[in-house]
Amino acid sequence: MGTRANRQEKGEAMSERRFTRREFLAATAVTGTALAMARPVHARGSVTAAMYPGTWEEAFRAHVAPALKAAHSVDLEMTPLFAVDQIAKAQAARGAPPFDAFVLDPGPRVTGIERGLFEKFDAKRLTNLARLPSGATDEWGVTVAAQVVGIAYNPKKLPRPKGYKDLLQDPWVSRLGMTGFQTTYGTVSIIEIAKQFGGSETNVEPFFVEIRKVLSKVAAIGAPASMPALFQQGQCDVTYTNTQTVATLRGRGVDIEFVKPDSGAVAFFTTMHIAKGSRESENAYKYFDTVVSAPVQAALMQPPNNFIPVNREVKLAADLPMASLDEMAKFVHHDWAKINPLRAAWIERFNKEVAK
Amino acid sequence: MRRPRLAEWQLALPLALAYAAFFLVPLVLLIAVSAFDDEKITIVGFAQWRKFLGDPFTWKVIVDTVKLGCFTVVATALVAYPIALVYLGAGPRWQRAILFVVILPLLTSVVVRTFAWIVILGREGVINQAVLWLGLAPAPLRLLQTEHGLVIALTQIEMPLLLLPLLSVMSRLDPSLRDASAGLGATRWRTLFRVTLPLSLPGLVAGCMLVFASSTTAFISQFVIGGNRLVYLPLLIWQQSLVVYNWPLAAAAALTLLVSVGLGVAAISALGRRSRAYAV
Repeated sequence: MGTRANRQEKGEAMSERRFTRREFLAATAVTGTALAMARPVHARGSVTAAMYPGTWEEAFRAHVAPALKAAHSVDLEMTPLFAVDQIAKAQAARGAPPFDAFVLDPGPRVTGIERGLFEKFDAKRLTNLARLPSGATDEWGVTVAAQVVGIAYNPKKLPRPKGYKDLLQDPWVSRLGMTGFQTTYGTVSIIEIAKQFGGSETNVEPFFVEIRKVLSKVAAIGAPASMPALFQQGQCDVTYTNTQTVATLRGRGVDIEFVKPDSGAVAFFTTMHIAKGSRESENAYKYFDTVVSAPVQAALMQPPNNFIPVNREVKLAADLPMASLDEMAKFVHHDWAKINPLRAAWIERFNKEVAK
Repeated sequence: MRRPRLAEWQLALPLALAYAAFFLVPLVLLIAVSAFDDEKITIVGFAQWRKFLGDPFTWKVIVDTVKLGCFTVVATALVAYPIALVYLGAGPRWQRAILFVVILPLLTSVVVRTFAWIVILGREGVINQAVLWLGLAPAPLRLLQTEHGLVIALTQIEMPLLLLPLLSVMSRLDPSLRDASAGLGATRWRTLFRVTLPLSLPGLVAGCMLVFASSTTAFISQFVIGGNRLVYLPLLIWQQSLVVYNWPLAAAAALTLLVSVGLGVAAISALGRRSRAYAV
């Protein structure tokens, strides 16, 4: 084995410049060090929060980040992730969470609790605690927004549907856009349809029986993320969705109206949690406190954000299907600890029933 | 001269290490995860494999996935090859223009291109408006959430993958061979099938393999355009890994997809070799 000079003398060099072993090792060391240092750096006074992409991320960047900086000198860094992706990432990270705070719907929240992904939560550390409805906090986290799910339809194309039963009947069924059990709103809506035909929170069999009869008529069974686009493009004119999506589409000039079904609208809450092993739990509490503060909640309620606030001091927008937060107690609620274990089988069944 | 060239393999080392770290190790992990019975990955066993492969629905999904890849490959090849012939006959300026147009879609995200197809294929989309305006159909055609609609969209989305290797091979073809064929009395069609096509086969086969692998695994396009009515393996993997967190079953589905795509790619490669031997 010769040195670089020897090899060049023997005419073996393909180019004039070769790496020596020392240079190679130096380059490797530099690369290695860079990779080692590329772990998330938690600067002083910052918190990294997982955030739903789209409306949520934009609204939090516009309203929560400046408020958190002004009130506590804490920088908000956001990682755009859907609820299910947050659980998968946190689980894969095994104790070294890639973010400090979760934002979750009830289903993934229960999974997170079961799999030990959250730090214990001390609600007394929130200065806004007294302004939240009772039950808005527990030992695992705090409720930051409410979601109300019902029926959305295009009033220029269809008569107003009265309830979930109408969705599977003409003229609505041939213009119906559906999603499966992958999302929270999809799951609760299918449960509500099943209930109209004798089913329950844990029995969606009647839904499958009924949908089989009308499947060929259904206008679209789409990916959850594509549903607003399908509605906007006229692929479907009636669907089940939440008030936030309806308000956002209406803001874009789409003909869409929200209907509170005769069996009741479904309500569920979006919660925030501290990731197990987070080194920024102090700042996470400040972040949560800012999110539920009255000025931020009021700003998040305004278009184009259209959140449903949970702070009692915020007067609810006129187009929401309730006048006060207390009314939401009368809405339909679901027990996700019961739903989660059944969901895998439901998803499998849905695939088989609707696949061509 | 035959001695191993130390410096060259050293240069390949970073890529080899990256390949080992980011492909081989995850692959081994995937195989390991699939060999557990429960979702919490504690009990070793092959229950998930038995459940997955024992279900007739899985086999329908595998067949549909491979079928989607085959249809997309055929449609893409049928559209791309004439474009490549135009490229072959064009002057340098037009060749640059064609190449630019081919590369252009790659500059936009696949998500944007996929959502654009909702606007094109939708009930009130461009195609349906044209069909109704021309009086070709009494009612809007159902294009979204159908296999042919998905193949149309994938054909456009995957087109650059087929055209780039094809154009690269085409541009290196010796024009005198076609001139010689014409000079010896062959018609243009005979020259195409006996000279141009056999010589461009390596590019076509490479492109077809890329399109097959990419279209069978194109989760976003499959799910956004196909919806829930068209179920392919990537959808099952997503549901199992990210919605119900059954990673062993997701790993089994992922490995099944890997094997299916691998076999499809190998079949295209073998077909290419055989047809080349036949043509020459």
